[in-house]
Amino acid sequence: MKLKDYLIDHMFLLIVTLIFAAFIYAILYVFKMPTDAIIVICFIHFLTVILFLIYDFFRKKKFYDSLFYHIQSLDEAYLVLETLDQPAFLDGQLFCSALYDINKSMRENVKTIENQNKDFKEYLELWIHEIKIPVASLLLMFHNHKDIYDEKVKKQVEVINNYLEQILYYERSEISSNDYLIKEIKLMDIIHTIALKNMNLLLEKNISLEVNCDNETIVSDSKWLEFIVNQIMNNSIKYMSDKNKKIIKIYTKKDNDHIGLIIEDNGIGIPYDDLPKVFEKSFTGYNGRLLKSSTGMGLYICKSLCTKLGHKLTIDSTVDLGTTVTIEFYNNDYYFVTK
Amino acid sequence: MYKILIVEDDEVIQNELAKLLQNNGFETVILDDFSRSIEIILETKADLILMDINIPFINGETLLRQIREQSDVPVIMVTSRTQEIDEVLSMSYGADDYIMKPYNPTLLILRINAVLKRTMHHSQHEYYHDAIINNQRGIIKRQQEEIVLTKNEMIIFHILRENIGKIVSRDELMTALWDSNSFINDNALTVNISRLRNKLGSLGFVDAIETRKGLGYILL
Repeated sequence: MKLKDYLIDHMFLLIVTLIFAAFIYAILYVFKMPTDAIIVICFIHFLTVILFLIYDFFRKKKFYDSLFYHIQSLDEAYLVLETLDQPAFLDGQLFCSALYDINKSMRENVKTIENQNKDFKEYLELWIHEIKIPVASLLLMFHNHKDIYDEKVKKQVEVINNYLEQILYYERSEISSNDYLIKEIKLMDIIHTIALKNMNLLLEKNISLEVNCDNETIVSDSKWLEFIVNQIMNNSIKYMSDKNKKIIKIYTKKDNDHIGLIIEDNGIGIPYDDLPKVFEKSFTGYNGRLLKSSTGMGLYICKSLCTKLGHKLTIDSTVDLGTTVTIEFYNNDYYFVTK
Repeated sequence: MYKILIVEDDEVIQNELAKLLQNNGFETVILDDFSRSIEIILETKADLILMDINIPFINGETLLRQIREQSDVPVIMVTSRTQEIDEVLSMSYGADDYIMKPYNPTLLILRINAVLKRTMHHSQHEYYHDAIINNQRGIIKRQQEEIVLTKNEMIIFHILRENIGKIVSRDELMTALWDSNSFINDNALTVNISRLRNKLGSLGFVDAIETRKGLGYILL
């Protein structure tokens, strides 16, 4: 709070005081009061007003300065009421009490929405697990009765399963979630799972998979990481070009403070202009329009999961030559200390 | 014949699982009264239990703990939940393996065989007719003759021998190879099989591996 603003705000009081003072002095003068006495009265009068203003200014300044300081410094500004002393002046008290009521009503609203959100999240998670049961049945039925069902049916069921996983991890990446467990994992175990999962697709499209991982271990959540690697692998398969020799290479690169997992393909690549935007939500770009079956969510979810896990996800690509995706795992000192 | 107990509450999956296991030469028992799960499990004396985590009356993990207090029977946990914590808990309560739904049926059979093999105390040597198989060294020995198999050839030979006299599809062979981190393609599989066939031929087992077009391979 600035003195200038305070004075402008109290301009009316000052002007009224001055006008009334002028009247009183005029009356006193008319009644032949000695000039010295008028000067003394005038002095006392103005001293009172000035002292009052100074006192009022500083108690208000103290309150508002502390209010704004706390609003600035708090991560959650709406908690500011808890940090304030009850102000000694009426305006401030009324202001605080109004703020308290507003805050309370806002919190109740937020709480309702949070509960709705939580219920929805729980239902969604439950639903995904429920729907996986018929999906599992379908895959089993398919395997047991190969004579009845067409291979195409199985592929469609697998597509459904992939989309189900996408929404499950989207929900986990969006809403602050505790459904993860960080531990030491072998990168090869992750690649093993994902390779098996995509085996039929890779063989059918005649894509060679070259893996070179040398037993590296990293610290992460294996389910989340499996999802991320699977999404990247799916993209590589989806955007493969019709070359003679189609290859997806997976290898690691060790640096001082991090290990990089690199997934490299020789597919159609991503146009230069689209590259900075591939991690944006719902971005499909040129390739997405080409295939018409892109939600633009896969990489976005991967990126937010990586951010949560503390990994760095980067992508590099040249049109017609291929795409390289790198996940960097930094040494997690905290994990090893607390272990 | 190994007896497998299926603990799973979805009827369709129960039946399809039983069928899958029967097709692969297992005897199956389905747990149908979940209110006395633990009694039935102990009475059945199965060689392996395939157990879902989400079952009525009792949580699969708790059931597993109760089983472990009284029995060492191999248990493979199956779940549709995708949380790391379930896997870690299951393994720490003494599960032998953990598979996520929806699973690859071929892989499920491979895992069951692997767990059974680990837990049943097999004799050190396995035989193919009168030849001795040395798994550790990847060698097959018949009288004075001996052949050395590569890792991939060994995996293929293994699967074929386990199903001796029966057709093994290329998909099953491929899954077994990829499960051992040999990510080979179709051509490489064909090459590996013909090499294996030649090597077996040099031991005197001429044309031991037959190709059934469109179906797979059969070891005689």
